[in-house]
Amino acid sequence: MPGRIIRWIDQRFPLTSFVKHELTGYPTPRNLSFWWNFGFFAGFVLVLQVATGIFLAMHYKADVALSFDSIQHIMRDVNYGWLLRYMHATGASAFFFVIYIHMARTLYFGSYRSPRELLWWTGQGLLLLLMATAFMGYLLPWGQMSFWGATVITNLFRATPFIGDKVVIWLRGDYTVGDATLTRFFALHYLFPFLIIGAVMVHLVALHTVKSSNPSGIDLADKDNIPFHPYFTAKDFYGLGLFLIVYSVFVFFLPDSLIEPANNIPANPMQTPNHIVPEWYFLPFYAILRSVPNMVGGVVAMGLSVMVFAFMPYLDRSRIPGGAHFRPVYRVLFYVFVIDMAVLGYIGYIPPTTQSILIGQIATLIYFILFLLLPFLSKVEERWLMKRGLPPEVEALIESESREKSKLLQRRRQGDVA
Amino acid sequence: MKALMTLLGACCISTSALAFEAKLETVKVGSDVQTVERGMEAMMNACHSCHSMKYIKYRDLVSFGIDKQKVDGWRGDQPMDAAMLAQMSESDAIQAYGKASPDLSLIAKARDGGASYVYSYLIGYYVTPEGKPGNHIFPETRMPDILGMSGVTDAAQRAEIQGKARDIVSFLVWSSDPHEQERHTLGYYVLGYLFVLTFLLYLVKNQIWSRLK
Repeated sequence: MPGRIIRWIDQRFPLTSFVKHELTGYPTPRNLSFWWNFGFFAGFVLVLQVATGIFLAMHYKADVALSFDSIQHIMRDVNYGWLLRYMHATGASAFFFVIYIHMARTLYFGSYRSPRELLWWTGQGLLLLLMATAFMGYLLPWGQMSFWGATVITNLFRATPFIGDKVVIWLRGDYTVGDATLTRFFALHYLFPFLIIGAVMVHLVALHTVKSSNPSGIDLADKDNIPFHPYFTAKDFYGLGLFLIVYSVFVFFLPDSLIEPANNIPANPMQTPNHIVPEWYFLPFYAILRSVPNMVGGVVAMGLSVMVFAFMPYLDRSRIPGGAHFRPVYRVLFYVFVIDMAVLGYIGYIPPTTQSILIGQIATLIYFILFLLLPFLSKVEERWLMKRGLPPEVEALIESESREKSKLLQRRRQGDVA
Repeated sequence: MKALMTLLGACCISTSALAFEAKLETVKVGSDVQTVERGMEAMMNACHSCHSMKYIKYRDLVSFGIDKQKVDGWRGDQPMDAAMLAQMSESDAIQAYGKASPDLSLIAKARDGGASYVYSYLIGYYVTPEGKPGNHIFPETRMPDILGMSGVTDAAQRAEIQGKARDIVSFLVWSSDPHEQERHTLGYYVLGYLFVLTFLLYLVKNQIWSRLK
């Protein structure tokens, strides 16, 4: 009977072949390390956020007079409401944590390089959607930090040429952040996750077209690809267990470490908090914003600091495979970048002093210099490595890869392959 | 890559673990019913006339395990589901102190330093050289030294006031997150389950990958 049903479906919809091609039989490089688990974690956290978010929305009230109280209602009176809310709030941090590692992996192993540019750009789009969703979600508890964070960030759109003031009013729905802002942010915070799900589909279609990159940085021959199931389902679920342990420690034992104390005070438009800080995942970009003395310049620098990742396929001109693994100069740049991000995050967190502003400005400069130097340094490094001679196994891999490529090109010319 | 992981970890910790600048007395609050009940009583006598606890209902106190007779005494003819509002109205408070007394339901979470902040504040009263009342933690406060810390020099009496402040803070910590105990208990079960599950998944993974040559 089940066989007949599947046959019936298969005549009308490619169910079996889809599952076989994209899930069970999907060829995956066997040498993937645990750093390749984080995309799966991100998908899992997305599902978790949508699931907890829908239940939170059943009890939440998007109204300036009610929202703060409704969060406390969820925390105190709703059955396991505290669990839903802490899972959702911690989930936001977990999402960024996972995505940042996912991105760091891509940068380290050079996974953004040809032919994965579109995969990387859809990821960049997902990052922007995620940031927008998180930012709007942060307004909903209507605490002091929610209100002032939203005020500061929407205010940045004043930098739009000519129509800046109008854009800010348009975004807020009012002259200040108020009820109109809260209701629209709630509506959009509910909408955006579904846009994210759509974008994830595009991301996955792109991934399944070009297939996963791997630590060697070289497209592996068929013999080194193994089916996704059961090998990577098993590996992903084992990794997921580890991830959930860390996540649960935060949800059950340290949930308030990720919530600013000031956000437990209801929003008060008449009283600015001493020190407005965004959530930790925005801190490096916030530090870049504050490092530029001119507001428009700061907004441009911040926007550029997020968008600069999209240029990576062109900034990195080296053809040495394997990302930072086989490239000492690039590896140094990568670690400087990570340290620089940490410094910027710290500077974004502490109240500005003359000294911290200076450090922030230096870190901002380093941030952009790293990207600006990359086209030059990657080329110099490539020449140097070629002259010095690559490790024999890399040489062999590159050779076989180019042979593969020329063979494919020939066959394509003859019209064998689409 | 290991260095990257350490750095990312350090980045997350450094941003969340920055402490309050002023020197706070750290306090270890009690979460048992007796301590919270003592704190509740002290709070009803010392704070409740001006400060509300609007997210706490009288029923919450009973379900936590506080003596029902005491709760009945406090609530008078108010229903069990009534929120613990202050005896003094907001306008009276503004008249008396120049500003409304903040609601205390969430106060233990609403300040940098949390419970230690509230504790240090309560025992932080002193008499300035000009003979005026002052507070080390929150100099601009309008609240009078309700526990009488500034007028006492005797060590035993000071210790008694500190004990009382600790009880009050214990109650405020409970009221800021009444499900904390439940959360921790459930957390241990969840973590225990996840450890077992992850270990089994690890074995499954090894088993499956061992098929590869």
